[in-house]
Amino acid sequence: MTTKQKYNLALLVFTVPTLLFFSVIVVFPILQTFQKSFFDWDGLTPATFIGFDNYVRLWGDDDFWVSIRNGLIFALVLVVYQIGIGTLLAIALSTKSLRGKKFFRTSYFVPVVLSGVVVSQLWIAIYNTDGGLINSLLSLFGFNYQQAWLSGEHSSIWAIAFSGAWHHLGIQLVLIYTAIKSIPEQLYEAATIDGAPFWKMHWKITVPLLSEAYKFCLIIAITGGLNAFQNMFVMTNGGPGNISYTLTFMMYKAAFRSGEYGYGSAAAAVLVLECLLFTILINKFVAREKINY
Amino acid sequence: MIFLLKRLTTRALTYGPLSLFLLVSLYPLIWLLFYSFKDNEEIFSTNVFGIPKHWRWENYSNAFDVFDIVGYFKNSLIVSIGTVVFTVILALMFSYAAARMKWRFANASRVYMTSGMFIPMQIILIPLLILERTLHLQNSYLAVIVPYVAFQLSFATIIFYAFFKSLPYEIEESAAIDGASVYTIFFKIMVPLVKPAIASVSIFVFLFAWNEFLVALIMISENTLKTLPLGLLYFQTQFGSDWGAMGAVMVISTIPTIIVYLLFSEQIEKALTVSSAVKG
Repeated sequence: MTTKQKYNLALLVFTVPTLLFFSVIVVFPILQTFQKSFFDWDGLTPATFIGFDNYVRLWGDDDFWVSIRNGLIFALVLVVYQIGIGTLLAIALSTKSLRGKKFFRTSYFVPVVLSGVVVSQLWIAIYNTDGGLINSLLSLFGFNYQQAWLSGEHSSIWAIAFSGAWHHLGIQLVLIYTAIKSIPEQLYEAATIDGAPFWKMHWKITVPLLSEAYKFCLIIAITGGLNAFQNMFVMTNGGPGNISYTLTFMMYKAAFRSGEYGYGSAAAAVLVLECLLFTILINKFVAREKINY
Repeated sequence: MIFLLKRLTTRALTYGPLSLFLLVSLYPLIWLLFYSFKDNEEIFSTNVFGIPKHWRWENYSNAFDVFDIVGYFKNSLIVSIGTVVFTVILALMFSYAAARMKWRFANASRVYMTSGMFIPMQIILIPLLILERTLHLQNSYLAVIVPYVAFQLSFATIIFYAFFKSLPYEIEESAAIDGASVYTIFFKIMVPLVKPAIASVSIFVFLFAWNEFLVALIMISENTLKTLPLGLLYFQTQFGSDWGAMGAVMVISTIPTIIVYLLFSEQIEKALTVSSAVKG
C-alpha cells in the first residue's frame, strides 16, 4: 500500500464506525418517524398508508391541544426561571468582591446531577396536599392558600414545570456565568466611571453581550420544555384527565400503551417540527450579528 | 458614613438573594435527607421542616429488604460504564479525523454529527423499539447502551473536536517525519494530550446514563436488568405510601452522583461550557 492509501484507510477506520452508528441509530429512525406518521400501523403487521389521517386526527384530539399548551407553558417556566433568575444569580456571582463564589455555584448545580425520577418523587412529597412542604410553609407564614398542587386544573402544569426548572437551573447558570466572565473588564470600568448604577450597567452591557450565549440557553430551555415527559409520567401520569399531557406523553401512550404506532409517530413528528420551528426562530431573532470584542 | 451604608446595602443585595436561592436549591435535598429518617406522621404533620426527632434507621434497612439496591446499582453501573467506553472510543476516533486529518467532508460530517445535540431522544423511540425488536436487543444491557451512545456522540464530538483543534500542528508533523503511522500518532501522542477532555466527557456521559429513564423504561422490562431509575419507579408503585422508606431509597440512589459531582465539578462545568460554544 502506498502512504496515500494507508492514510485513506486510516481515515475510514476512524470515521466510518461513528458515522454509521449515528446514522443507523439516530438519523434513520427520525426519517422513519416521519414516514410512519402517514401510516396506520400497529408495529407488528404491515403498515397501511393513510396519508394525513393521523394528523387530521391529532388536530381534532383534545389531548393534542392540551399537550401543545402544556409544552409551551413548560418552556415558558424554564425560560423565565432558568434564564431570567439564572442571569440575576450569575450577575450577582460575578461581583468581584463576592466571597464563596465556588460554594454558591456548586450548591446551585447539585440538583442537576439528581435523577429525574428522584426529583419527581421529591416534588410529589413537596407538593403533597396534606402537610407537604409548600402547603406547610404557606400555613407557617399564615397564608390561606393551600392547594392540591399537582391535581389542580390550573396549578398542575405550573407545579410540574417548576420542579423541572428547579432541577436544571444549574446548567443554565453555569453557561450564563461563564459567558459573563468572558466580557472584558474595561467595559464595566468605563461604565462605573460614568457613574452608571449597578443593575442599569448590567442591563445595558451584560445582557446585550450575552445574546450569543442566550441563543444556546434558549434552545435548550425551549426544546427541553416542549419535550417534557418524565416529570409528568412520574408525578401525575398525564392526569387528572388530560391536564398534564405533553406531546411525548401522547406519543408514549399511543405507541406503547395502545399499540397505535402510526398515531404516536405523528405526535413525535409534530414535536420535531415544533422544536425545529423554535430553533429557527431563535436563530433568526437572537444575536444575528456576531459580537467581537 | 453614607459610603459605608451604601456598601452594606450592596452586600445585603448580593448575599441576600444568593443565600435565599441557596435555600431553594439545597433545602429540598436536606428535607429529603431528613424525611428519609422519619415516619409518615412526622413527615407530613408533627415535624414537617426540621431534623428527625427520632432517627429511624430502620427506614434504610426496610428499604434494603424490599428494594434490590445492589442489583439496580450493578445494572446502572454496567450500563453507564458501557455507555462511557463506547461513546469515548467512537467520538475520539471521529473527532480526531474531523479535526486533524485532511479530507473533503471533514467539516460537513462534523456538522452532521453535531446536529444530534438538538434532537430530542424521544422522537426516535418508536422506530428504535422496532429496530431493537428485530435485532432481539430488547431486555439486554445493549438495548439501552446503544441509544445512549448514539445520542451522547454529538456532545462528545463537540468537546473532543474543540480540544483536538487547539493542539499545535507541529506535533504530528515531527512525528510523521520520524516515521510514525497515523495510528501511532493517534494512540501514543494525541489521545494522551486530550486526557482532560476525556475526563470531562466521561463524567458527563456517566451522569446522563446513570439517570436516564425513558429509553430504559421502554427497552427493559426484565426486572433483573432494570436500572436504578426504573427500580425507583417500581418501588414507588409498590411501596409509595411508606414515604420514609421511599426517602431512604432516594437518598441511597442519589449519593453516588453527588459524590461524582463534588469530586469532578470543575470538569463537568468545563464540558458544559465547551459544548455551548457550538450554537444551533
